[in-house]
Amino acid sequence: MQPMLPEWMKTSEEYVPPGDGGAFYYRTLRSLGGIMSRLRVESGREGRCSLPAWLKLLVLILYILLMSLARDRLCIMGLAAAGLMVLAMMPAKDIWSVLRPALLAGGLAAVLFAPAVIMDPGRLSNSLMVVVKVIMSVTAVGIFNRRTQWNHVTAALRRFRVPGVVIFLIDITFRFIVLLGNLMTEMLTALQLRSVGRNRKKYDSVGGIMGTVFLRGSEMNREMYEAMQCRGFTDDYKGL
Amino acid sequence: MHIPENYLSPASCAVMTAAAVPVWVHSVKKVKEVLPRDKIAMIGVGAAFSFLSMMFNVPLVGGTTGHAVGGTLIALLFGPEAACLGVSVALLLQAVLFGDGGILAFGANCFNMAFVLPFAGYGIYSLIMKGTSADARPGRAYAAAAIGSYVGICAAAFCCAVEFGIQPELFHDAAGNALYCPYDLSIAIPAMMIPHMAVAGVVEAAFTVAVYAFVRKTAPDMTYEAIRDRLPVREESKKGRFPVYALVAVLIAAVPLGLLATGTAWGEWGADEIAETAETGSPLGYTPKGMEDGFSLDVLMPDYTLGEVSEAVAYIISAVTGTALLIIIFKLLSIPLKGKNAANAS
Repeated sequence: MQPMLPEWMKTSEEYVPPGDGGAFYYRTLRSLGGIMSRLRVESGREGRCSLPAWLKLLVLILYILLMSLARDRLCIMGLAAAGLMVLAMMPAKDIWSVLRPALLAGGLAAVLFAPAVIMDPGRLSNSLMVVVKVIMSVTAVGIFNRRTQWNHVTAALRRFRVPGVVIFLIDITFRFIVLLGNLMTEMLTALQLRSVGRNRKKYDSVGGIMGTVFLRGSEMNREMYEAMQCRGFTDDYKGL
Repeated sequence: MHIPENYLSPASCAVMTAAAVPVWVHSVKKVKEVLPRDKIAMIGVGAAFSFLSMMFNVPLVGGTTGHAVGGTLIALLFGPEAACLGVSVALLLQAVLFGDGGILAFGANCFNMAFVLPFAGYGIYSLIMKGTSADARPGRAYAAAAIGSYVGICAAAFCCAVEFGIQPELFHDAAGNALYCPYDLSIAIPAMMIPHMAVAGVVEAAFTVAVYAFVRKTAPDMTYEAIRDRLPVREESKKGRFPVYALVAVLIAAVPLGLLATGTAWGEWGADEIAETAETGSPLGYTPKGMEDGFSLDVLMPDYTLGEVSEAVAYIISAVTGTALLIIIFKLLSIPLKGKNAANAS
């Protein structure tokens, strides 16, 4: 006798969960977490004969200051030429990662200035100067990031007498943003997997997620600080 | 030799651009095929040589100025196709940043200086060097480079003169006044050819041979022969890039010498100057209509100057900017190819 399949096994089933509120908030939190976890500190590489980090930081600050204060073309184009020369000496891959955000920022500036140029085409070269300023300032920061190790940056900040607590905060923030972003995305996934069907209280969990992230963050922070103290950290960045 | 804006009619510009497009397409394909990835980044250095050589104006007979182009040099270093791309990008920068050569006339300028010049120059060179190599007969190679670059720049000047010269025949108003370039073939050809054959061609040949010999001695792996025949790279030549960059730096520092030659190059007068030019014996007396109300574009550093500032400083800043941008552009162009080559290798 042939085994008979029951009728209900022969029909295909496609279960589509009923439309449920909360898609917006899931998406928002998820993209927030995604952006946070992408914000990792770029690991800069230093050449063999690299300048000390504090000098580079000083030059960077001076460069941006001069670039934003300069009003005549000679100054702006001279600074731009210097910046481009440094950029040209970098390897091709680094150049692109430095130039991409700079060009994006320049494009944004160009869009902002477009109405002014359309109203008065005679001002085109002035607006171009501002675009050049924006591109070169962002490029300068990019070059600095690419060419300086993060721990050397903190050491340089200490040299400029920035209080240790501030450096500690900056350091921790940059590291933890990534961790907390990952944590948030993971928690959202877990929550979504566990809440099948209609759930009217979705928005109640927003506070829960954010609160947990905060609590976990401060806990991780405390643990790391204690671990650092156990290893001899004395709130001072000089020796690093 | 940079044809400015409004010296050629828009129709001529369109024809010349259409003629240049297939050359660009062929060059891009060939460069991708032949040149290894790190050499593509080095085309930028070659283009920088060309850009800088165009900044050294030399006084020519008849009170005008001219300059070398260096297209044959890039062809000797990286092949004529790479020279075409290198000179094209250099010309683009000059047109967009410094207002040297028109935006509309970009196609025509590229046809003359990026296609005719390097291909003619390299063609002559390889004709002379047929059956032998530069390593076996260096003296012959330098002579061939000199002759090639001389013929190349003269051929480019001839094309340029013809483009100028046919304008008054084709485009004039009812009174017989030219709309664009006012001088016909009988004036344009001698006016362009004599100075280029007498002075600019010699400068081009000298510049080409000097830099070619320097590069061959300091970085032998950077010549096209080495690349094409895939000669093994000698270890010590890897370090040889430093003298090449040093030469670029020296050239940049020396560009203000190019300012010593005063006067405007033939066929590059501004719209305010042209009425006083007296190529036929008497002043022209009118400004061609197409130039008066033609297309013009504001650029960041018109004619490599920055307002009131000393010309030499502005000239050096222009040279640094142009060189750096050329190197950056070609380094960026070498990135996508890197991925492709890596995929082929694995």
